Amino acid sequence: MKSRFVFMALAFSSALPAHAAPPFASGAFTEKYCLSCHDSESKSGGLDLTALPFDLDDASNLRRWIAIYDRVQAGEMPPKNKKRPAPDEIKPFIQRLVASLNDYETQKTTREGRALQRRLNGYEYENALRDLLSAPWLQIKDQFPEDGEAYRFNKIGNALDVSHVHMARYISAAEYALREVLAVQFRQPPTTTRRHYARDQKTLTSKFTQNPFNSSPDRQTYPVLEWQAQPKVRSLEEPLSVGEADPTTREKEAVGWVSSNYVTGFTYRWDGFRAPVAGRYRVRFSGYTLWVGPGGISRSFANGADKIGKPRAPQKHLPNFDEISKGRTNEPITVYTRNGVKNRRVGAFDLSPEPAIHDIGEVWLLSGETLVPDASRFYRSRPPDFRNPLMQEDGAPSVAFRWMEVEGPLYDDKTTAGYRLLFGDLPLREAPKGKRGVALADATVEVVSSNPQHDIERLMRRFLQRVYRRPSTENDVRLFTALVNERLKAGLSFSEAMLAGYTAVLASPKFVYLNEQPGRLDDYALATRLSLFLWNSLPDETLLSLAAQGQLNRSQVLREQTDRLLNDPKAGRFVEAFLDYWLDLRKIEDSTPSTTLYNDYYLDDALTEAAVLESQLFFADMLKRDLAARNIVDADYTFLNERLAQHYNVPDVKGTALRPVKLPADSPRGGFMTQASVLKVTANGTTTSPVLRGKWIMERILGYEIPPPPPVAAVEPDIRGAVTIRQQLDKHRADPSCASCHNRMDPPGFALESFDVMGGWRDKYRGVADDKAPVAGRGKNGHKFAFHYGLPVDSAGVLPDGRAFSDIRDFKKLLRGEDETLARNLAKQLVTYGTGAPVRFSDRAAVEKILQNAKPHYGARSLIHQIVQSDLFRSK
Amino acid sequence: MESSRFHGPFVHVREPISRRRFLRGAGIALSLPFLEAMLPRVARAAEATTGKPRRMIGICNNLGLLPDLFFPKNAGRDYALSPYLEMLKEHRRDFTVFSGVSHPNVDGGHPADVCFLTAAPHPGSSSFRNTISLDQFIAEQIGILTRFPSLTLGVNTRTRSLSWTGTGVAIPPEDKAAEVFKQLFLQGTQSQIEAQIQKLDTGRSILDTVAEQAKELQRDVGKRDRERLDQYFSSVRDLEGRLKASRGWEQKPKPVVKVPVPVDPATPAAFMDKIKVIYDLAKLAIETDSTRAITIMLEGVSAPVLEIEGVKITDGYHNLSHHGKSENKRAQLKAIDELHMKLLADLLAALKATREGEESLLDRTMVLYGSNFGDANTHVTTNMPTILAGGGFKHGQHLAFDKMSNYPLPNLFVSMLQRMGIERDKFASSTGTMRGLEMA
Repeated sequence: MKSRFVFMALAFSSALPAHAAPPFASGAFTEKYCLSCHDSESKSGGLDLTALPFDLDDASNLRRWIAIYDRVQAGEMPPKNKKRPAPDEIKPFIQRLVASLNDYETQKTTREGRALQRRLNGYEYENALRDLLSAPWLQIKDQFPEDGEAYRFNKIGNALDVSHVHMARYISAAEYALREVLAVQFRQPPTTTRRHYARDQKTLTSKFTQNPFNSSPDRQTYPVLEWQAQPKVRSLEEPLSVGEADPTTREKEAVGWVSSNYVTGFTYRWDGFRAPVAGRYRVRFSGYTLWVGPGGISRSFANGADKIGKPRAPQKHLPNFDEISKGRTNEPITVYTRNGVKNRRVGAFDLSPEPAIHDIGEVWLLSGETLVPDASRFYRSRPPDFRNPLMQEDGAPSVAFRWMEVEGPLYDDKTTAGYRLLFGDLPLREAPKGKRGVALADATVEVVSSNPQHDIERLMRRFLQRVYRRPSTENDVRLFTALVNERLKAGLSFSEAMLAGYTAVLASPKFVYLNEQPGRLDDYALATRLSLFLWNSLPDETLLSLAAQGQLNRSQVLREQTDRLLNDPKAGRFVEAFLDYWLDLRKIEDSTPSTTLYNDYYLDDALTEAAVLESQLFFADMLKRDLAARNIVDADYTFLNERLAQHYNVPDVKGTALRPVKLPADSPRGGFMTQASVLKVTANGTTTSPVLRGKWIMERILGYEIPPPPPVAAVEPDIRGAVTIRQQLDKHRADPSCASCHNRMDPPGFALESFDVMGGWRDKYRGVADDKAPVAGRGKNGHKFAFHYGLPVDSAGVLPDGRAFSDIRDFKKLLRGEDETLARNLAKQLVTYGTGAPVRFSDRAAVEKILQNAKPHYGARSLIHQIVQSDLFRSK
Repeated sequence: MESSRFHGPFVHVREPISRRRFLRGAGIALSLPFLEAMLPRVARAAEATTGKPRRMIGICNNLGLLPDLFFPKNAGRDYALSPYLEMLKEHRRDFTVFSGVSHPNVDGGHPADVCFLTAAPHPGSSSFRNTISLDQFIAEQIGILTRFPSLTLGVNTRTRSLSWTGTGVAIPPEDKAAEVFKQLFLQGTQSQIEAQIQKLDTGRSILDTVAEQAKELQRDVGKRDRERLDQYFSSVRDLEGRLKASRGWEQKPKPVVKVPVPVDPATPAAFMDKIKVIYDLAKLAIETDSTRAITIMLEGVSAPVLEIEGVKITDGYHNLSHHGKSENKRAQLKAIDELHMKLLADLLAALKATREGEESLLDRTMVLYGSNFGDANTHVTTNMPTILAGGGFKHGQHLAFDKMSNYPLPNLFVSMLQRMGIERDKFASSTGTMRGLEMA
């Protein structure tokens, strides 16, 4: 009887609410070592231990106790100049505190799980619909409000709210996607290979002549036959093309130009081609580079009605289209789509002086989209000053295109798989006149069913089975077939009613939410978590069938599947989505390089694109080759193309394709910290701040959280060149209360001061001042440089532990040996991203175990394997 | 007479402004996405639904204005107009300018623009969560009175929004004036209306179905997970209410206006032209009582080099705002700022010139103009430049507060709510009503 009572009491005490745990604040340890500063009188650091409750349900109280643990554990408290406890005095205090904190969180986890119920985010929803409906071209993410983020990721339940806006968008986005799938099934135009000659594109030939709105030869196009000018064609005295009558000559006719698109993917578009239907197409361009002599003529127009204008005198800085010679350069060409939801970059190649055919491979196009080749190195004219920066004494580089060839739409067994998922073998046809159907852009269609009642249930059952990522219930089938039937009664046709039913499924909580249950995840939930982690989408049939067989929870199977997912092209979505948030790469366009300080970067799409690709390719390579965590800050190679190599001062890299390049020994590049993408997202286009960059590196790369600053006067950026940001900061850092944090977070930012807003190396700051002569030269926009080189950059600093560095190379050396810190941070970021919950106090041990198992190199893929195998990942 | 003016409980239809004429076959289709601006559940504020119509327009210029040229030097009713306010001279008696005001704890630089009408703290922090905006709060109370409970507009943005739901979700702004115009004024054909009604009904059936599943799921989950599902459930009910209300409006003819469909300037560089088009549209929406709460985000952050007739601009708008004390940049910024003030003056003049009953539209429309930035160059979000014009207050003064320790701007929102006839004594971090601002 007595023993039973004791057992009861124990059981009871472990179930006590956390705040009833032993009051640490009044213990002997705190009295002896803490209260002299942290009592109600001194409240040193704002902490009064005599008034601090132990109420862990209060998130800020929990944070406070964790901070106390961390400071005591690290030996920072009590401070060195005060009475220090002996190790055997600290130990019991620490142990009790750890146990209480762990107990609290573990109980909570048992009850609710680490992760909070969450919905799919916009990326995941878009990918899910693409994969389910075999419609990789779908663009629907931007229809949703931007997802909230917590702990820096868009995968956390706390921040993934739902509102009536989302409900409206789920319905409209799903309905849009379903209609597009019907359109693909309905149209199925035959696959053709068609050459779209440049001379047949009105958008290109209409620029042969100048007009009141475009009086600059720099923005003109011109006809050319191999290396021979065609002034009479240009002046429209001769026909635009010899036409089909003379195929040999026609094949050589080209249209040339000397500038880049005014707006990305706008000016030099092929208007004669529009993708007849969403799908896969193979695209080739035929063209070559040229050299155009100087002495072109611009015309002056009296007014908007004046169509002819008067020629001005020839000018040396303008291209003369009568003086054409063979190209002297290779020119990088980027291919964008046009007329779709947004312009997308779909390919790139190098145009050479010898005419050649360039196959950019297969691309996905939306219905109605066309393509635009952009000579990305060329001038992008902007008012009020029009000068081609590439124009030399004897001329300027030019490109010329003969034709674009499109083969497609290309079909395979996936093309209509989306339709088959919806309607199986039922035929689709144009709805008879006066009969209801589903309205597509150019036709009203209907699915023909001879036995609607039978088909409704059969199709809905199959659809639910595939879409719900776990066996659907009879209740679900009943629920959605009832909706279809109700809509039929309301007067909708079979096809419309079915689409309403499918739309409802795609907006339903079992689809939109993850619905994980507390405790160990079952096979189905694990399949979803794994595919959301590594594909940013829903599980495929292989994962689902392994789940159905109860196999996925076996460690070996889980490992194999992790490898399969990582080796699949869809893992590219993980790379993009993870870096978009971990490294803020989604913000790459948030700032524009200042046109007065940095018009050499302004409008340089090719540079920005290469910068993002570098980071993505580098991370993908880390995963592929299981590269050590230290590569995050220091690698002897990176991915470059000619433009980026030029930016980084790396010699001998030619062409537009990014490839792995071994870096020169003294290069500061290699690793994310010194990549142009990271250096751009941590600047504002005009100035850099060591504080902001330092904080960013501490948090994103090294894994330390920096508390937000107290409200103090901000440092006012000054670009006049008389004072540097460091000189301005020194005053601020001299204040001891500021220094305690700034000493920790600024040093990496000091090292990165050697890099400008686009990540270019600098020894001196650029400034703009009326009394200083600007540097000679012109930017990509044709405007004269407005900046001068001012004060020298000071990139030296001292780490909190006293070690000094003089520049970024030095700083990187100091990070050698920090492999574990880097790995811990990467693991932390991946756990947060992959499980939808941050690494909490009680998860620390699990993260240490992950690290332990990935020793000594902490390879990126090894870390992912260890994470997937861990309890953190395999439990809610 | 009464019966022709009141078509149903709480639904007040204005006198026709001109002979009714239906623009038939204009080829419009109301799409579901636009419905998010549609009706709320119930109208609660009895007074607000019966008194004379009161409206608000909230405008945020998210790059701010040069503070030294905006703020007047002295306070009170006899204050001397600052260089920028000089441009609003003709409206001096119709607006109040505020200084030394800001949203408490709203920091973080650029991200703070989305808090302009919400005052939710720490928008730059990684766990930031926005709260309901002033216009959406108003729409919840009186939105049922108009075809659109609110209009969320943007210039050069379809993402950065001033309007936020109670669950902290942005209502994406509409930035194409022509499209909004069609939604507001172009009458569909009978068959289009019927198709639209059927579409709304299908939407409601879909919502009923998913709500039933949500109820089932809610049964077996823990407390915190259930709260997330509750949010889904109430979102469904919210949209259902809106679909129901818009079904009612679908059967009523739209107001007729005599102006042509606006033409949206094609390029983001025509930022200032776009602002004018959007202001004109806002005025038209107010004039036809299509809505009583409008927000307009002037998104300068991502704007390219602006093209302004007669002004030589060489640098991107955003970069100009980081002028770094460069005189050249400041001069260009000043030209842009002045144009902002002129466009605002034109909007106020247009509202003033339109009569509604005994008063001008301006007398019944609160126009709140300001910025999240006190100074874009330093990215500070204190000392927000703020103007409130019209709407039925005793204006003509400069209410100056402490520049070092700011007065809470949310107090102005409380004053505005009360002026709307909504009984409310708190909004976000307010501490009362705006000190020194009295109703006319």
